[in-house]
Amino acid sequence: MTIDAVYLLQLTLNGITLGLLYALIAVGLSLIFGVMEIINFAHGELLMLGAFAMAFALPVTGLLYWPALGAAVVCTMMAGLVIYEMLLARLKTDEFERSILITLGLSIIIIHVMQYVFTATPRLVDTQYGFEGVQIGAIRITWTRVIGAGAALVAFGGLYAVLRYTQFGRAMRAIAQNREAALMVGIRPRVVARNAVVLSAGLCGLAGAAIAPIQLVTPYMGQFLIFKAFALVIIGGLGNIPGAVVAAIGLGLVENWIGGFFEIAWQEAAVFVIMIVVLFLRPDGLFKRGGMRVG
Amino acid sequence: MKRAAVPLLAVAAALAFAALPFVTSSNYIVGVGVSALLFTVAAAALNLIYGYTGLLSFAQLGFWGIGGYVSALTVVTFGGNFWWGVLWAALINAAIALVVGYPMLRTNRHAFVISTLTFALLVSLIARDWVDLTRGPLGIPNLPPPTVFGRTFSTTHQFYGIAWGFSVAMLAFLYALCSSRIGRTLIAIKQNEPLVRAQGISPMPYKLAAFAISAAITGAAGGVFVFHLGIVDPLILDFYYMQTFLIIMIIGGAGSFWGVVAAGIALSALPEVLRFSADFRMIIYGVILVAAMFAMPSGVAGWLRDRRIARLRAELQ
Repeated sequence: MTIDAVYLLQLTLNGITLGLLYALIAVGLSLIFGVMEIINFAHGELLMLGAFAMAFALPVTGLLYWPALGAAVVCTMMAGLVIYEMLLARLKTDEFERSILITLGLSIIIIHVMQYVFTATPRLVDTQYGFEGVQIGAIRITWTRVIGAGAALVAFGGLYAVLRYTQFGRAMRAIAQNREAALMVGIRPRVVARNAVVLSAGLCGLAGAAIAPIQLVTPYMGQFLIFKAFALVIIGGLGNIPGAVVAAIGLGLVENWIGGFFEIAWQEAAVFVIMIVVLFLRPDGLFKRGGMRVG
Repeated sequence: MKRAAVPLLAVAAALAFAALPFVTSSNYIVGVGVSALLFTVAAAALNLIYGYTGLLSFAQLGFWGIGGYVSALTVVTFGGNFWWGVLWAALINAAIALVVGYPMLRTNRHAFVISTLTFALLVSLIARDWVDLTRGPLGIPNLPPPTVFGRTFSTTHQFYGIAWGFSVAMLAFLYALCSSRIGRTLIAIKQNEPLVRAQGISPMPYKLAAFAISAAITGAAGGVFVFHLGIVDPLILDFYYMQTFLIIMIIGGAGSFWGVVAAGIALSALPEVLRFSADFRMIIYGVILVAAMFAMPSGVAGWLRDRRIARLRAELQ
């Protein structure tokens, strides 16, 4: 098998754009874990809600991409707020298994309510950019992918700035690093946890809205992606945000290369095999969790 | 109710269940009975790993599916009989559990949950994509009915006898295990692992053994279940089964042996009663799960125990 340089570059670009979208999901999971020490099983359903919001907002805005994206993000942030206030706020600390079972129940409810109301028929989402792309030499990449990746990069920049330079973000890092000490200096865990859930719901909604024009939108789309994101946060080290980003982009690349050169079946299995190997070699993930570091 | 009354009650209930095929001629009801028995065994195995040892394992779904495939393949591809199929299902699952369980158990309990989940998903991908072995999404239809000493168990009524015998044997084994010194050690690991270490007990072999035993039993139950269905395909790894096992265990009360068994029998009838539409049934399952986690975090058994303790307290004053 000869490796064609153009083909390889095409796969690499596709891998990076996909990896950035995975990273948005994984970062949200890591943020919630860092602050609350729980795993949100319904995170994939937030992504699905973001994608559905995008699908419904686009016809209203006359296929304009950016207003619809904004609407989808606001929508999922509100969903995140409701989920936090109704369910997650009642959890005590160190109730990890309980958090999983509660959010698992929530995820079942959301998926099946959506399927009941909107049916399981996959939806194709059209935007102002249609399915056109940019041509660089022999490489072609659709605008929706480029913009999705760009939006993800901007979101990471924003997240980094928020966590590093604002009181809002410093409080989250403080709670993640030492809960008792943070309490003593007057940080309210409840407020910080709410902020973290809403923020990560927003990131997840952004991912969902950006994925909507790239993939088909179905009530089950979140489940496929979230299971990958779970594996990613384990590979990157639970609660480690840069670790999750690196693992996600790495996975995007590996998946696309495997999909390009080997049988397609291996593409889906790659992440799980990598995870088990990583756990064998480094039980705490590739990048050990040392508080929630951003820089 | 005195403690000693519980096993007696259990024997009476088991005998009452054995009588089900003689009471009704409906294939449908007996079929629900077969599912109820096998789901209860799987939920009791999940209870061993979560309720007793405190490790939430989603890998049970994978073991259930592997068990189904192993027993079906033993019969169809390798020409063994049903009993060898179920035995192989148990042995292969135990071996897989030891291999994947070791790296998973070395991590913390957070990573354990997620990695068991991804294991279950990996199994379902293999079932779908390794077409040479599993025949892919089409599955393996027309599984032959099991035979014992030349007698064929072809109808649902006859198959019920096998499912009953299997379930009673497995539940008896699990009960003996859970009420032994090993069971108490597992509870101790759940409650306070550092203290267990301080007592000179290494938790790892116990955790690994609990994981492997619950994998073997779940796999064997899956192996019996596919012969009830008559087909094995990737739907055996549908997340629906995992949700059913979880709900049975949580409603019954994690860590309570008889609570889970009672809930298994009672709740397996529930999906049949709630058969409006598949979606609506799942919505109700989700609502039950969330509501139970808030209203009765330790299940019906835990709720009863709390009430008993409250009554004793009231008598003291």
